[in-house]
Amino acid sequence: MLVRDFKREFYDVVQHQRVLVLVAFDVDSLCGCKILQYLFQCDQVLYTIVPVTDLQELEKAFLENAEGIKHVVLINCGATVDIVDLLQPEDHVRFYICDSHRPVDVHNFYNAVQVKLLMREDELSTIPTYDELFRDDSEDSGNESEDSDTGYKKKKFDEESIIRRQEKRRWSENRVKVLFDYTKFTSYGTSAALVMFDLAWKLSKDTNTLLWLAIVGVTDQYIHFKTPRDKYMEDILTLQSHVSRHNQRGGDNENTLSINSLKISFEEELNFPLYRHWTLMDTICHSMPIACKLRLWSLKGQKRLHEFLAEMGLPLNQCRQQFGAMDANLRSEVKGKIQEFMSKYGLDIQDVILPSFSLHYGYKSQLCATDYVLSSIAVLESGDKSRSSTDNFLEACDILQKGCTDKMEAGLSAAKLQLRSIYTQVQSFLEMHQIISAGPFLYVFVQEGTADSSYFAHPQCSIRLARFALQAHCAVSRNKRAQSLPLVLGAPLRQEEGTSLVVGIPPLDTDDERKNFFGKAFEQAAEATNTTAKFNNFDSYIIEMKSEDKSKFFDALISILQ
Amino acid sequence: MDPSEVEFLAERELVKVIPNFTHDKIYLISGDVGPFSAGLPLPVPLWLAVNLKQRQKCRFVAPDWMDIDVLKEKKQEEADSRFFTPMPSPHYMEITQLLLQWGTDDIPKADEIRTLVKDIWDLRIAKLRSSIDVFVKSGESHAKLNYLTLMEINTVRLFLTKALNHMHQLKSVTSRDTTNSNSQAF
Repeated sequence: MLVRDFKREFYDVVQHQRVLVLVAFDVDSLCGCKILQYLFQCDQVLYTIVPVTDLQELEKAFLENAEGIKHVVLINCGATVDIVDLLQPEDHVRFYICDSHRPVDVHNFYNAVQVKLLMREDELSTIPTYDELFRDDSEDSGNESEDSDTGYKKKKFDEESIIRRQEKRRWSENRVKVLFDYTKFTSYGTSAALVMFDLAWKLSKDTNTLLWLAIVGVTDQYIHFKTPRDKYMEDILTLQSHVSRHNQRGGDNENTLSINSLKISFEEELNFPLYRHWTLMDTICHSMPIACKLRLWSLKGQKRLHEFLAEMGLPLNQCRQQFGAMDANLRSEVKGKIQEFMSKYGLDIQDVILPSFSLHYGYKSQLCATDYVLSSIAVLESGDKSRSSTDNFLEACDILQKGCTDKMEAGLSAAKLQLRSIYTQVQSFLEMHQIISAGPFLYVFVQEGTADSSYFAHPQCSIRLARFALQAHCAVSRNKRAQSLPLVLGAPLRQEEGTSLVVGIPPLDTDDERKNFFGKAFEQAAEATNTTAKFNNFDSYIIEMKSEDKSKFFDALISILQ
Repeated sequence: MDPSEVEFLAERELVKVIPNFTHDKIYLISGDVGPFSAGLPLPVPLWLAVNLKQRQKCRFVAPDWMDIDVLKEKKQEEADSRFFTPMPSPHYMEITQLLLQWGTDDIPKADEIRTLVKDIWDLRIAKLRSSIDVFVKSGESHAKLNYLTLMEINTVRLFLTKALNHMHQLKSVTSRDTTNSNSQAF
């Protein structure tokens, strides 16, 4: 059931008992969780937070912590599966689901007692109506048993029951069709962090810190290609009104605010990853749109980049310096110059400029929202095997805390390593011509034993790799159809078990929708071939399977998508 | 005594806050607080103010003395006078510290206030050190200082008592030596 009044129907109800909060592993849910955590701390509510990576862990975490718990909050997980069916909770347990995954499972939506959805109403308008999905059959069966008692009217009733049966068949055919249409595409709704921030705002407990978390959550969705640019811009506009409400204090009072307080400002940021903490050269190379358009992995591309820099009047030795150490005049000109010359190199304004926010705190250099996203996801999905996922989760939480500069620094360097490994992997894909067209889709595998393959065993990182590979392939491919082909990427997951992670991303020409049909396709392919693929991930287009089943699975996938 | 203990004592001082909720009087052992009505400033103990602020339930109102002009005047007065001058609050340092730590955005010109209070503190501590120096050198057994605050006394307490103890020991040893040598001469 959809919750309309978050305060009355969710927050006020939850307050009096210990709450179990289950959080998925991405930056958006991390931010949402931190906002909720802050609210709970304000009102002295007892809570337990358990991070969960997949459905299996969700089940385990629930079983372990369910004792005495009445309210369970799920952040960015659980909306796409029938949560009551999965967890088999006791009758008094209530689930509050704040999840950006769409489509929402119909059972969750129509469960009026145990499941409450914390989502925006307008995003759930496509859900099939109740009558299309459920009908009360008990009446029919009751009638039928009566029929058998009364023998003399049997014939007449038989006719009626035939009609009824026919109608029922039609109904169930329609039900399958409606359900299929509804679940065909997976997409994303409003970020969990933003929904939580709205709650905080309604409780008038919104502060700059919480606002920043909401911004990071929204940015995370955009960076990981979950929401299209239009949706991102819409959210940014909403956030901007909050930002100006919090950060403007009439006229000359402005400079009275202490330097130690958090300040957020709206900015047309350069869309280069971590550029404030890197050299200009590196950051341009690792920026996806520019790298693809200039084809920076080739020698020719490097030449083109040098030309581009020369035309902008940026000396190479300056570009190889830390951005912060560049000549101040040059540094301030970079943005304008790039915008001036970009059209000559086929770059769009969208490739270069990203409307975003930046954060000032103390005398430290300013940080922008993408910095936060990249560094926390790098820590969250660090390839380090010696640390448990919970450790990573806590570490990433610390990064989002204000004033944790050393953790932030560590996160930034981890993010750089991650970006580098994605870039080199894409480069080797292209050089070895590993991106292969299977007809209806492209596919590529990360070879086992590749140096950085541990990075790509994580969902968010592999999505970024897949996207980069697809974009790069489209940039070099002479095939005009490349734009309309989706890509499937396989990466080794656990070598000792011989499993791999398979990710499917939609084609580039449907980029303004960002709807993914691979969830259903994978499901059908697995059914057709009887492979034991695990649909464990919260995103249905990311699955786990035995590496040896791969060829069988792909054959089935080709025939399905054709 | 630890500085944190002094801070604990300072938390009993009353400061004004503007709550954003309405609540009846709270009856506490240390005294009654309230009634709270949203938007109306009322005095509460500092510990309660900080707690409410941390939970976003109130805004601080800067005490009257926590103002650039007042503090500048105070600083000038302190610098001009040879002796200690009375402070606007017996716990000025602790209150400034706590209010600025938790409510930087509520106090206007927080950075300047922080600097001014630190300046006054430095002036007074320098004065205190030099007077201790004079006191110890003169070998007197007691001295009187007016208008010192608890935190200031606390910063020199450990050093001063120990130093005086040592002095006393040394003195008693030398005086015993002299009486011993005197008695032998007779």
